[in-house]
Amino acid sequence: MPHLKMTDMNKTYGATKALTSCRIELFPGELHVIMGANGSGKSTLCKILAGSVKPDSGTITLDGRKVDISDPKAARNLGVSIFYQELSLSRNRTVAENILAKDLPTRAGFVDVKAVMAQAAQAFAPFKEVAGDGFDLSARVGDLRPDQRQLVEIAKAFAGDADIFIFDEPTSALDRAQTEAFFKELDRRKAEGAAIVFISHRMEEVFEIGDRVTVIRDGESVSSASLADTTRDRIVAEMVGGESNTGVFADPPQAPAPGKVRLALQDLSSRRLRDVSLTLHAGEILGLGGLHGQGQSDLLRALFGLEPTTGDVLLDGTPIALHSPRRAIRGGFGYISGDRQTEGAITGRSIFENVVPIHLFKSRQHILRRKTLQADVDRVLQILATRHGGTGLPISSLSGGNQQKVIISRWLMDDTEVLLLDDPTKGIDLKTKLELFELIRSLADKGMAILLYTSEDAELLANSDRILVFNNGRIVRELAGADRTRLMLTRAAFEAA
Amino acid sequence: MMKRPFLRAMPPYLPVLVILICMFALNGLAEPNSLSAYALKGLVSTYLALMFLAVGQTLVIFAADIDLSVGAILGLVNVTLVSLMQALGDTAGAIMLSMLLAVGVGAACGALNGVLVVILRLQAIVATFATSVLFLGLALFVMPVAGTPAPRLFWRTFGGRIAGIPFAYFVLAALLLMIFLLARSRFVQRLLTVGDDQLAAFQTGLPVNSIRVRGYIMCGVFAALAGLCITGDTASGDPNVGGLITLNSVAATVLGGAALSGGVGTLFGSVLGALVIGSVGSLVFFLGTPSEWQNLVQGLTVLAALMVGILFSGKARA
Repeated sequence: MPHLKMTDMNKTYGATKALTSCRIELFPGELHVIMGANGSGKSTLCKILAGSVKPDSGTITLDGRKVDISDPKAARNLGVSIFYQELSLSRNRTVAENILAKDLPTRAGFVDVKAVMAQAAQAFAPFKEVAGDGFDLSARVGDLRPDQRQLVEIAKAFAGDADIFIFDEPTSALDRAQTEAFFKELDRRKAEGAAIVFISHRMEEVFEIGDRVTVIRDGESVSSASLADTTRDRIVAEMVGGESNTGVFADPPQAPAPGKVRLALQDLSSRRLRDVSLTLHAGEILGLGGLHGQGQSDLLRALFGLEPTTGDVLLDGTPIALHSPRRAIRGGFGYISGDRQTEGAITGRSIFENVVPIHLFKSRQHILRRKTLQADVDRVLQILATRHGGTGLPISSLSGGNQQKVIISRWLMDDTEVLLLDDPTKGIDLKTKLELFELIRSLADKGMAILLYTSEDAELLANSDRILVFNNGRIVRELAGADRTRLMLTRAAFEAA
Repeated sequence: MMKRPFLRAMPPYLPVLVILICMFALNGLAEPNSLSAYALKGLVSTYLALMFLAVGQTLVIFAADIDLSVGAILGLVNVTLVSLMQALGDTAGAIMLSMLLAVGVGAACGALNGVLVVILRLQAIVATFATSVLFLGLALFVMPVAGTPAPRLFWRTFGGRIAGIPFAYFVLAALLLMIFLLARSRFVQRLLTVGDDQLAAFQTGLPVNSIRVRGYIMCGVFAALAGLCITGDTASGDPNVGGLITLNSVAATVLGGAALSGGVGTLFGSVLGALVIGSVGSLVFFLGTPSEWQNLVQGLTVLAALMVGILFSGKARA
């Protein structure tokens, strides 16, 4: 009998279905891998089990008894412990306090400092040898390196007396020795009878340590099998599904004859990027693919001067130093973020005021002459077919898609040579999405060079002339021509570790 | 990655301690008598209320909340206490009972703040500002006109001495003992964890809402204890006694090294911060600043102290 069973789990976020009748069974003493492409619902499923997300419907049974997991505390009481991908640490507390944050040992209401240190040392013992320089149980977590923080989150998940452990991408920042130490601890827990849920995009390690695998596609569990009975290719095929390109998005575009090289990067590195080299031609849409958060956004933000980098950036053959957005804008870069509210729209101001700022900055105008500008503003908004009731209305009167059009129009008042699109269609309805991509293509046809990152693989495939697949800050593969399929993209994202 | 090991090993309240010593030195230069035992006792008993208030404020600020009604709670407790003592008589037992009830009033005020901010999710700054007006209104209802005297036994004890030691020092010792214990309590550790990253604390399984509400209740209790002190110091009831003291408690907390964004700070630092604000007041006095300039000089000195604190810790804290 399974130790834990989740059946018919449903969860929607607004209009998006995150989970549809998803099910999973966990047996004691097994390491159960969940595989799925971007946005398939893996993390949502885990968060439901950990109590930090509430399902719309579904049944969870523990040892045959129906249970209700209303919040993280309830999950803990049932013996469920989770490692969060985005970490759940307090930066200003010490390592020891973080590891034991769930249950600081106390004596008569007072924190028992000796017990804290002793228990934390015990919980961290498996990783002590591999923690590296500057690590100390009394160090502030905010002062640690990313890999050390990840180890702290792992030790925190293991602390206490849970018998169901969930690990959502636990090894992304770890080096080989740290990963080995972690796997050894997983084996020990398995031998003690714990059930472990494991999410990873590193196919090798999945086969190295996994017992069974459940594949999730578009929020549905499509298969559960023993890892000994399956293959990498089969898992990838199941993640992708039958059709090559699903949904409204068409097949990849015919690559146009490449124009001249507009942008060239040589060994660009930053906090999150490792030796990124690429060339971008005029009139080309170059897609950045791979699993979420592998450096795609970081590259776009770095090019816009938002993050410090090393390496060379050549714009039209001339080196350019990108140390601030002001410099990048003057150099001909434009950046559009999917987070319109925080990084795009000037909320509470008019449409007019939302179109002109880049123009005013580039033309070094300090006095705004509305009459002379109005014609230009109307012109660019017309190009974009933006529906609005007058440029004097606040931008918040528009729908998300039309707001994004207004923000794009900022960059069309003057020549923009390289447009950086950072998940530009986030939260926008399908019809407007199609319009936006049509528009982006028409900009490329006029000679603009475009770097596109989108969190939806179908969009990326349907709109990119070439796709660079990212993994852990590196470009691991380039997909062009007939290789631009969901299967190839998913395989590249998962296999090329 | 051992960055600046010296600074990391330094206690968080060191900057404010240095500032405090400087303020005492300046006071001493301006008027040697300001460091006499008598003057120090005066400083302590006048600013005990602010010290208690700063500790209460620090507890909510630890959790990234704020309470702008502490001054009004103090005023309400002051008039409630004086009215109760007048009604119940001036025996020791009646006074003790009145004090207990007054602390209960403070806790209730804090609980109201906690429910509004945490459960009903009103913005802390605005909600506690609104309750401060409410508490002031209640205080005016309890005692419409200032000036009802406190019983002789009450203020004589507060202003007096036991075994030759001023009573205010016993209160100060009690406060220090309380913060010594609080700083080691699981409650305060949890407040700090919640203030550091509320989502992380929730995902860790901490009862975030209940921790924050309890923070507000404790803040109300400390505001009430401050109210007891101010009643002992002024020996009378005055609904408007709160005045500017609320923002002084916030300033003391920030001077003491706490971050308004939560998760950082020490209770001891806030007590020192309150003393710095007190010594600024006395410095202005001892310098013989003309009365029309006193506010200006006081404001500038607090600003300067804040800047020194930032230079020390190497970064501006929001």
